[in-house]
Amino acid sequence: MPVIVMASPKGGVGKSTCAVILASEFARMGADVTVLDCDPNRSLSRWASHGLPKGVTLHGDIGRAEIVPTIRAADGDGKIVIVDLEGVASQLVSRAISQADLVIVPMQATALDAEIGSEALALVREEEDALGRKIRHAVVLTKTSAAVKSRVQKELEEQLRGAGIDLIEPSLVSRAAFSEIFAYGGDLTRMMNDPEMMTGGKVDKALENARQFTEAVYERLK
Amino acid sequence: MSGSNRLAGLKARPKDTTTAEVRRVDEVGEARGFVDRSPRKKPGRKPSPRTYQLHPKVFPEVGEAIAAEAERLGITQGQLIEQMWVLYREQG
Repeated sequence: MPVIVMASPKGGVGKSTCAVILASEFARMGADVTVLDCDPNRSLSRWASHGLPKGVTLHGDIGRAEIVPTIRAADGDGKIVIVDLEGVASQLVSRAISQADLVIVPMQATALDAEIGSEALALVREEEDALGRKIRHAVVLTKTSAAVKSRVQKELEEQLRGAGIDLIEPSLVSRAAFSEIFAYGGDLTRMMNDPEMMTGGKVDKALENARQFTEAVYERLK
Repeated sequence: MSGSNRLAGLKARPKDTTTAEVRRVDEVGEARGFVDRSPRKKPGRKPSPRTYQLHPKVFPEVGEAIAAEAERLGITQGQLIEQMWVLYREQG
């Protein structure tokens, strides 16, 4: 089953949020999901400490030496492996990319995110050449506006498409629930159904966005 | 989107994980600035394991007496201390 790697040498672009959304949604579909937290900030481990959704297993504190054997050990029939990487340019990142069936590069619709994120895209292409095999990769725009698509976002989307880069749609909208899930653990469905969990936004809209995003990722794994 | 039967169609592509392949990936990454950023270990000699022995400087005259007696008997200070320990246990 596939290995999905979240990669960008820039921090704060939404790698961990993408990982949590995909892990919980694929688990809801019935997959046995293994999440590897390779980020020294341990965002996913913090999320897991409040409770993991059924079907999700998490391994933390994975370094450069352990990443390849850990992915290989986690990979298997009926399993999806999701790797959340650190937001720096490191060998841990390049090694994880080499094991991926899909590399997702999240970026906010800003010139800085696009410039730094493009380093990850270039690295994927160079690894493809070095290894002699295709590594599917795609960009997802994160923290976008729910109301209107900004001019910068439109221009960036045009540039990415013009460069032949696969752009995952829908983008991940800026939603309070996507941030607060790290404080509550579990998944968005639980958040929506539990009145004790207070969010400052519309969880149903976040859930709909998460499901459409996961569906778009699923289409790229077939 | 529900049901595990949809997921059954998902396949992983075979990937080699030979040492040579990992080295190639490292080289490609390094050329683009993706270098080894693993935390470095603390430099210097690692501390020796604790023996819980008193340093001779604590009771210098006792240390000197033990050393002289061991030399007279032709045994090591450790052997002498072992004999003392046996006597101590017998007295207890």
